[in-house]
Amino acid sequence: MISKIKISKSEKIILYFLIILGVFTLASLLMLKNKCLFVKNYDPNGIKFNNPENIAILNTNCGNIIIELYPNISPIAVKRFKTLIKSGSYDDVAFHRVIEGKLIQAGDLEFGKKENLDYGKVGSGKSGLGRIKSELNGKFKYDKGSVGLARTFELNTEDSQFFIILQDEALFEGEYTPVGKVLYGLEVLETIKFVPKFHIVPRPDFINTFKMLN
Amino acid sequence: MFKLFFMIFLRAILLFFILITPLKADTIYNLIKIPNLEIYKINTENRLRYLYATKPFILGLNVQKNINCFNSDKKALDKKYQIVKRNLDRYSLNFLKKINLKYIVLCENLSIAEINTAGIPNNKTRTLILDIKFNESHFERAIHHELFHIINDNYKELFNKSIWENFNKKNFEYSDCSTCSNKWNLDLLDDGSGFFTEYSKSTVSEDMAEVFSHLIFYQDKINIEDSIIGKKILFIKKKILQIDNTFNFLKND
Repeated sequence: MISKIKISKSEKIILYFLIILGVFTLASLLMLKNKCLFVKNYDPNGIKFNNPENIAILNTNCGNIIIELYPNISPIAVKRFKTLIKSGSYDDVAFHRVIEGKLIQAGDLEFGKKENLDYGKVGSGKSGLGRIKSELNGKFKYDKGSVGLARTFELNTEDSQFFIILQDEALFEGEYTPVGKVLYGLEVLETIKFVPKFHIVPRPDFINTFKMLN
Repeated sequence: MFKLFFMIFLRAILLFFILITPLKADTIYNLIKIPNLEIYKINTENRLRYLYATKPFILGLNVQKNINCFNSDKKALDKKYQIVKRNLDRYSLNFLKKINLKYIVLCENLSIAEINTAGIPNNKTRTLILDIKFNESHFERAIHHELFHIINDNYKELFNKSIWENFNKKNFEYSDCSTCSNKWNLDLLDDGSGFFTEYSKSTVSEDMAEVFSHLIFYQDKINIEDSIIGKKILFIKKKILQIDNTFNFLKND
């Protein structure tokens, strides 16, 4: 009759090793799934701005993107942008077009809203406020983090859609109406969902809120 | 019930195809809808952006894809870029904005419907495609000729065809289109017919473009003994100054 099997020392070491490995794997999986884990979330209230009246806060699942708007460069476009931000129009709107490392686009108020996202039409929606004139004469360098208004193939068709570029784009200068630049939170932008080779992002990320600081 | 499922299925298939449309992340393609281009030079004084073909490309006017052009070797490109730039530098930023021209595409053996051409202007995309291997003896002047088509496309109302046709001798008739006749010769005529070249006789807009290009390229070296040509030159000058009253017809050397 076998009364008790004693675990040898080496077996104990293997058992502990397997337990540690299991815990480590589980923790890694959880960490990898959370894309926001190492992304710094900036609190605009803890930052001093030179032009607080032109600071807009775009909140996403992974934190805040703090944007300075440039009314001196594009007065009409910034006025439109502020109007839509202040009215809460951008809240719950999809980042419908995201090209990895290149740009993210959002702001389709008609077909990009969370409650009635239309994959067939998103990107073609309107704000209801009408189109505005392109403002392309101001001095503006389209480097990483620049924010511009999207348009159709023709000039003077800007409305509510905007894009933020994730790399320098010299060819955008004089082509797209600039509205501002990201001051903080570029790393947050890089967490926005994209799907390689897809023109429109299926099940996209959404803007939580978009507000002016003041 | 079956109908409903069928509709949902159909919609799902359609959405699938919409969503997997190949993504053209190429900035140049997004801007001017011409594939296989790279930047040659963009920081120019008059802000013209020079692009070149890295591979052959095919484009379509309307539904037909009938425009072809090929990439060039670097040596030819570098040489012709200098010539193109020198000629286009004569146009100010202000003037180029007014005529809606921003992109110059350099490639070779440009053809439309298998007919070779010096250039293809597109005022909607603000682009002028230039064949850098076009007839050497007329290449420089052809740059201004093609540029005039951009001007004309933007200001059709200014360049009135009826007024122009009245400058010509009675009984003269243009062809129906620039490729509808065998009037291809670009050599200077000196026959008092009222035309700079044989090609001028093809259509009104080609005639205007020929007058403009001779005016810009040869400037005061043109001998205007032909009264019809004299009237045509005055007309073109007047209209160009209406577009931009600071336009300088003489080269600033």
